[in-house]
Amino acid sequence: MPYFFNTPEDRRAMLDAIGVARVDDLFDDIPAEIKLQRPLEVPPALSEVELERHMKQLSARNTAASESLCFLGGGSYDHFVPAVVDHIASRGEYYTSYTPYQAEASQGNLQVFFEYQTLISELTGLDVANSSLYDGGSAACEAVLMALASQPKRRRVVVAGSVHPEYREIIETYLINLDAELVTVSALDGGVSGDELAAAIDVETACVLVQQPNFFGALEDVDEIARQTHEAGAALIVAVDPISLGLLKRPGDYGADIVVAEGQSLGIPMQYGGPYLGIMACRETFIRKMPGRITGATVDRSGGRCFVLTLQTREQHIRRQKATSNICTNQGLMALRAAVYLAAMGPQGMRETAELCLQKSRYAADRLTENDRFELAFDRRTFKEFVVRDRQGRVTSLLDEAARQGVFAGVALGRWYPELDDCFLVAVTEKRTKADIDRWAECLANSEVGASAVHA
Amino acid sequence: MRNQQATQLLFELSRPGRRAARMPACDVPKADLGELLPEQHRAKRPLPLPELAEPDIVRHFTNLSTLNMSVDTHFYPLGSCTMKYNPKRNERLASLAGIAGLHPYQPDATVQGMLQLLYELERMLGEIAGLEAVSLQPAAGAHGELTALMVAAAYFRELGQQRTKVLVPDSAHGTNPASAAMAGFDVVTVKSTATGYVDQADLVDKLDEHVAVFMITNPSTLGMFERRIGPIAEAVHAKGGLIYLDGANMNAILGITRPGDFGADMMHYNPHKTFSGPHGGGGPGAGPIAVTAALAPYLPGPRIYRDEDGAFSLVDAGPRSIGRVRSFFGNVGVLVRAYCYILTHGPDGLRQIAENAVLNANYVLSQLKDVVDVPQGERCMHEFVASAARLKAEKGVSAMDVAKRLLDFGFHAPTVYFPLIVPEALMIEPTETESKETLDEFVAALRQVLDEQVDTLKEAPHTTMCSRPNEVQAARQPVVSWS
Ligand SMILES: Cc1ncc(COP(=O)(O)O)c(C=O)c1O
Repeated sequence: MPYFFNTPEDRRAMLDAIGVARVDDLFDDIPAEIKLQRPLEVPPALSEVELERHMKQLSARNTAASESLCFLGGGSYDHFVPAVVDHIASRGEYYTSYTPYQAEASQGNLQVFFEYQTLISELTGLDVANSSLYDGGSAACEAVLMALASQPKRRRVVVAGSVHPEYREIIETYLINLDAELVTVSALDGGVSGDELAAAIDVETACVLVQQPNFFGALEDVDEIARQTHEAGAALIVAVDPISLGLLKRPGDYGADIVVAEGQSLGIPMQYGGPYLGIMACRETFIRKMPGRITGATVDRSGGRCFVLTLQTREQHIRRQKATSNICTNQGLMALRAAVYLAAMGPQGMRETAELCLQKSRYAADRLTENDRFELAFDRRTFKEFVVRDRQGRVTSLLDEAARQGVFAGVALGRWYPELDDCFLVAVTEKRTKADIDRWAECLANSEVGASAVHA
Repeated sequence: MRNQQATQLLFELSRPGRRAARMPACDVPKADLGELLPEQHRAKRPLPLPELAEPDIVRHFTNLSTLNMSVDTHFYPLGSCTMKYNPKRNERLASLAGIAGLHPYQPDATVQGMLQLLYELERMLGEIAGLEAVSLQPAAGAHGELTALMVAAAYFRELGQQRTKVLVPDSAHGTNPASAAMAGFDVVTVKSTATGYVDQADLVDKLDEHVAVFMITNPSTLGMFERRIGPIAEAVHAKGGLIYLDGANMNAILGITRPGDFGADMMHYNPHKTFSGPHGGGGPGAGPIAVTAALAPYLPGPRIYRDEDGAFSLVDAGPRSIGRVRSFFGNVGVLVRAYCYILTHGPDGLRQIAENAVLNANYVLSQLKDVVDVPQGERCMHEFVASAARLKAEKGVSAMDVAKRLLDFGFHAPTVYFPLIVPEALMIEPTETESKETLDEFVAALRQVLDEQVDTLKEAPHTTMCSRPNEVQAARQPVVSWS
């Protein structure tokens, strides 16, 4: 086996030192009747050459969206990842270390997490950020739990139907075992209904969760939502697309109390859904209720600046069942990637990226709807994603056929919104060129022939 | 000499007008920004992010990285964390474009290789666990615990049983009781015996028909195999409860015994421990769970389905599923590495992992037992827990002092102060991917440390960039961002 050291001589010497005859004797504590009496039924060992061949065969049976024309979104995007991000994240000192329990042996990671937290605060306009949660969905859920814990008498959670359906599903999964009520406000015309939202928020409401831009790519009236939420004394949680903040108002600037985000856009490969990055930032008042690791600055014995994990009395290893969350292992390496990404982009790069997304998605929407088979499903301002209705209502065959031509044209919405089963969600990142968009539009416009051929 | 160039904070290095990434010019007809984005939504000023040149960014993060200890550079016997070697082939293979470049919402027909990999991994993890069904969705061990406890809650809800309690040994990892609370259960702590086993009398005392789950770590957090796991599981099952196995210590028993064979109904893996996923400075990990057939219908969805022709698809998990616990499929990149690792080892290799991990730990124990107290005895599984309690009483030297001083010798410290039931705990897990020479050097260093002057220890470490950060100040007046 490739990673062991012990030679037969080492083994002999070690067994002698221990004072047993055979390695098996070390397992004497395991009762014979529960020992496995056969080899595990897993495939035989592969050499590196064979493993690489096998993995390349598997890989060849996938069509990578990153290598094709990718217009897929819905929380995971084909944004550009500068080479510096991969380079830094592939340093063994980062990716083969662990949680900085021993601050003196982890100043590199700790400073990076402190910088990451600062960058997230700057990005969102909120006071404090933690050093990562699992993903955008579980971060949204943790935010809800944090809001409930902050006002324990209030047990109502109001969520906009235009929040990512998977995030909503996670919240539902978590809340079913807890004493809390989940109210979902419909979003029939591509955004949350203001009146319905107002009606849903009451004095029992602990928090309101909206997404900006929402799952359909559209902008919500966040100022009004913030006003309604705060009037009822509830906390406003906003899920954001970090890339959009190159142009859009920061949530802290319109009154969000807690911000969560899927950080995948910030330099993390799509890799079929993970590992990604759960971003969480909030107002200072929540800090002692926050989940996850928090890094703080302090001084050492000789007065020099250094960094430590702080406010650990919130955490499971100290507070056990009274902890603010059960999270232990987080997504540290993904936070590093996001920090390097944001450092490389800077204010100008973020602005340019956001503007390209905005302009190109507008162009794509115009281009596609030149064909009257397609129309925009909603009359709303959008950022980088928009919803298209296929007037022929054959979304699945349309998208499947485009995929066969190497164009990942969009995400069908019917599985989450039955009323939108003739619609699909399109994302356009800064990586798409005019030629890409033209090809995508033509591919969709010309698909009729293919579609009828399939059905024939 | 230690290079400190560019290791100030990014914000201190920033100069107006510098930049690294530059985006291409817009190649589509540009619409007026005001028309696309009403004033109300637009930021009034540029983001207050630092402005840096690319060479500065590289030097900054590269020089900072050298302030970390890591598995690639140091022996890292951090107990309970299984800091084994992270194979480089896994890194390369997980970043193949056909793996890393897949979008989670691609049509199933375009990800057949990925679905096959994940399907096969589910089967492998089921076989290693001795349990029928696997969900790869949870994002870390703690997330797996929570997911499995939600599965248990759904199971009892359907049975119409009011089971409100989860029993957790006092030696358990903090995530166990924290997960139980998040799943809505009341946590009841079960005592351990002086030698670190579950106190069976206390367990039986606390078992009743309101107990949903008994969470047990086996091998335990003391590095001991719970010999009486059979009767324990029987007692819990007899009252209608379920056994949850915290699989953090699977490295010690791969191919030797299986949780399903010793009574577990559900368990999580930590692929970032057992199956060599790099720990990433804190993560990512993954937390796949394995459960019995009776619990399978409650697992989160979607599930991977293989039809008679061998085609794979993602299917809805059905009405009894607890629903999602995470967006998208899961921490796939970590799972791919675990798959590569299992394939690299095969059945014999997996067993040899456990054998070498246990051999190495026992060897270190044999070389230290005359100078440190190891309350649970002369033998261990993959790790053991020493106590510095006597040292503390006699010389005033704490486990933390010993840990800090080891850093000066170029060794990462063991886990300290866990498990909570061992005073001044030093938890040492060498893993199988270390040589006898390294273990001998570590032993020699630790023996020397235990002999040193009290002041040398109290002021340690002496060779690192900082020493003994003021944690009290950090917590009292938190400074968690630069301003
Ligand atoms: C015994 C034990 N249980 C559970 C966990 C939690 O796993 P994770 O950190 O992957 O969430 C750990 C890891 O730190 C552990 O050591």
